[in-house]
Amino acid sequence: MLLRVENIHKSYGAVEILKGVSFDMAPGQSKVIMGPSGTGKSTLLRCVNHLTPPDQGRIFVEGEELTAKNLNSMRQKVAFVFQDFNLFTHLRTVENVAIGPRKLRGFGKKAALDLAYKELERVGLSDRADAYPAELSGGQQQRASIARALAMEPKLILFDEPTSALDPELTGEVVSVMNKLASEGMTMLVVSHEIGFARKAADEVIFMEGGKIIEQGPPSQLFEAPQQERTRAFLNVIEHGGDE
Amino acid sequence: MIFETLLSQMPYLAHGLAIAIGLLVCLLSLGLVLGLVLAILEVYGHWTLRLVCVLFERVFRGIPAIVLLLLFYYGVTDYIEMGSFTAAVLALGLRSAAYQSQIFRGAFLSVPTGQMMAARAMGMNKLQAIREIIMPQALRMSIGPWTNEFSSELKATSLAYVIGVVELTRQAKYIISNTQGNILIVFGVVALMYFVVNRAGNWALYRLENRLALPGFEHRGDA
Repeated sequence: MLLRVENIHKSYGAVEILKGVSFDMAPGQSKVIMGPSGTGKSTLLRCVNHLTPPDQGRIFVEGEELTAKNLNSMRQKVAFVFQDFNLFTHLRTVENVAIGPRKLRGFGKKAALDLAYKELERVGLSDRADAYPAELSGGQQQRASIARALAMEPKLILFDEPTSALDPELTGEVVSVMNKLASEGMTMLVVSHEIGFARKAADEVIFMEGGKIIEQGPPSQLFEAPQQERTRAFLNVIEHGGDE
Repeated sequence: MIFETLLSQMPYLAHGLAIAIGLLVCLLSLGLVLGLVLAILEVYGHWTLRLVCVLFERVFRGIPAIVLLLLFYYGVTDYIEMGSFTAAVLALGLRSAAYQSQIFRGAFLSVPTGQMMAARAMGMNKLQAIREIIMPQALRMSIGPWTNEFSSELKATSLAYVIGVVELTRQAKYIISNTQGNILIVFGVVALMYFVVNRAGNWALYRLENRLALPGFEHRGDA
């Protein structure tokens, strides 16, 4: 298994957000986590790379347990794409992508830039390489942040609602990049309500509610024949008149 | 004539100005390095370190500059030998560090938390994230408030007069004593010299601020 998530618990104060979540991911798999807001999807994703350290439970990447000691080296294998991009505002787009290889992977300046241009090409942003983040549209910023993640050549990319901060007409460009990555065999764990992406690119969909996994399975099964009443109710909301 | 006197004394004034600027550069440099360290520890440090920094900053911001100068020159030199220039650099430099730490602290805190989060999520350790991501952004935002510190400290160098640093103000006093009078004109020239250096420094810092400004973060009044 590439990723093993084992019995993750997390509370904020008296509120238990995650009540024991476990699942595995094989290399090349992509999984989409769905569920009502406030269910702990983003918290779960942040627990996977310890941006939010879990109270209980363990995370394994390629069989190695994530601990406080190996945190920084493990995070280089597990990239994170944020809802609000978080591109480094003082760096040009290409420098945003190059800084990881340059500072963390021991690349020389030239090699890091070459790699950065290659990754920008992959997300269709070569022509904006010299722009600063503030000069990019939301969709471009998110594609740049995906390129930044790719430049770490991670084993797994975590996506935290990557299209939620975007205007509807801009989500398409991000989703199509994600589709392409999935088809290239990138391992992806995605918190999103993009049904289109889930149907087309996900190997499995995880439905969460109340800090627990309610149901999981291939998208065809989960969307066409959900076993649980709560899954059905949720899908009904997002497919007809939902707000996502 | 007064102008002949002034002209003949000009080398002394120029020398005094050079000493004042030397003192300014030394104390601002000390304040910059120490102020940055203090700010980083105050924002990201363990609470014990934070306490030490806050204590230092409160003490040096809470004592008049003249008293600090006298303390360092007459007090500390009893135990550690140093000249008046060194004492002035230390007294004013440590005080400047306290003020500069607050400029930098504000700037560090104004960098959005997502920047640190993204850096850490990549696998940078805290120090790398501060150095590569947070500091370049914070320093840009510090230049504006820092011009204020530059002006204050330039003017504060004249206080080193009281512990015998032969800087611009003291040279002026010498000239007045030696030529018996001319107080208004000599101090007038000295005032003009401080003013010109002050404006030149501010202009250079403003230029620097504009040159380093990032798209989307320019300082404009028309927004």
